[in-house]
Amino acid sequence: MNITQHPDLLDRLAASYALGTLRGGARRRFEALAREHATVRAAALVWQTRWSGLTELQSAIDPAPAVWTRIDNLVQADRAATAMQAARVPQAATAPGGWWRNLLVWRGAAAAGAMATLAAVVVGMQVNGGLRANTGAQIAALQQQLQTTPQIQYVAVLADDKADASMLVTFDPKNSQLVLQRVGGFQEGADKSLQLWALPPGQGPRSLGVLGQDKLLKLVAQEGDVKEVPTLAISLEPKGGVPSATGPTGPVLFKGELIQRML
Amino acid sequence: MSTLHPDSELMDLLDRIAAQDDSALKRLYERTSSQLFGLALRIVRNRDAAEDVLQEAFLTIWRGAGSYRASLSPPMAWMGLIVRSRALDALRKRTTDRADLMNELDDAMAQTLEGDSPNPMDTADASEQAFALHQCLGKLDHKQREVVSLAYLRDQSHGELAEQLKLPLGTVKTWIRRGLEQLRACMARYA
Repeated sequence: MNITQHPDLLDRLAASYALGTLRGGARRRFEALAREHATVRAAALVWQTRWSGLTELQSAIDPAPAVWTRIDNLVQADRAATAMQAARVPQAATAPGGWWRNLLVWRGAAAAGAMATLAAVVVGMQVNGGLRANTGAQIAALQQQLQTTPQIQYVAVLADDKADASMLVTFDPKNSQLVLQRVGGFQEGADKSLQLWALPPGQGPRSLGVLGQDKLLKLVAQEGDVKEVPTLAISLEPKGGVPSATGPTGPVLFKGELIQRML
Repeated sequence: MSTLHPDSELMDLLDRIAAQDDSALKRLYERTSSQLFGLALRIVRNRDAAEDVLQEAFLTIWRGAGSYRASLSPPMAWMGLIVRSRALDALRKRTTDRADLMNELDDAMAQTLEGDSPNPMDTADASEQAFALHQCLGKLDHKQREVVSLAYLRDQSHGELAEQLKLPLGTVKTWIRRGLEQLRACMARYA
């Protein structure tokens, strides 16, 4: 029987097929006919379109406000990653090297209290010697940038409880930009996000943003967000992070002092 | 903006999102999140899971808005299909993960089918094609409308629907067959 000669049967089968209730052998036979005859394919498309209207007809219910916060955090991380991707091309061309030299510059620049933390970076870097070459080049490029950008006024090294450095944070108030660089091997699970917090004295933690998966990340922050904040911390949160008012809900993985450059 | 046809406002927002305008995404969320959350909740029946679905759907919209125009769909239908697809992923994952939890939720669901409520559908932003479907669904018995809607929204077979709604298989088959016949006759008038 040629189904294309039986429009009513074709319509019935197409409606069941697109609804999803045509199953098993009947479904496979219909699909075979659709591949063969454009009329059958068209009938299926018509019903797929009709049924898709059902998705528009359900009662509206307001989601919790935190959902938008999570979406926005992920979108901002996405944008930062895209911007980094664009910025990475010229940076990669910069000659590698200078990490140790730059470290010395930093050492001179930082307040005395930072010495122990910076030593932890060195240990951390040696422990995590397995950084890939391209990451090394990125770090070198970042160091180069640090050296040639006098606006960098705040530096922090965030370390875990074994004092292994895992994150380097610099803040450029002129461009309102926090740059985070992963230096350890830590990688959160696909369903988790790292979230950066300012810990101002006598107040609750304040979210500075949610980190994407890249080695090098940029977040927007105002100087008021980091000024007079002695400590930064990173917590492990559900994917997309939590609203600032909630405070960290997961464990604090990395923590470190924020040092203002004296130069 | 309010003077525009809702579709053109949403299409304009999707164009701006395709150009990575995050303020357009915020506006789109304000305009459509309740509608899309209602859909997600209808499919996964759990607030936390539905919020995850909504989050994933909006990230999909953020990253995929550039392909919207090629779909030739009304904007709400395009977004609705994204939400349904994410929600079905979540349902399948949950069915394999936690079969016991499903059973508890099924009991709650079976009760909502018993009462004969008026057609609860919300058509404020619906496209013309969805409005036609809404008119035709409105002519069905409540129970027929429910099983047909659930079959589509949750991509369930007769057997799965019977099990979930605690109805005899024959009853489900009859309701769907009669519902489909009436709908086909009604929709033919809008073709």
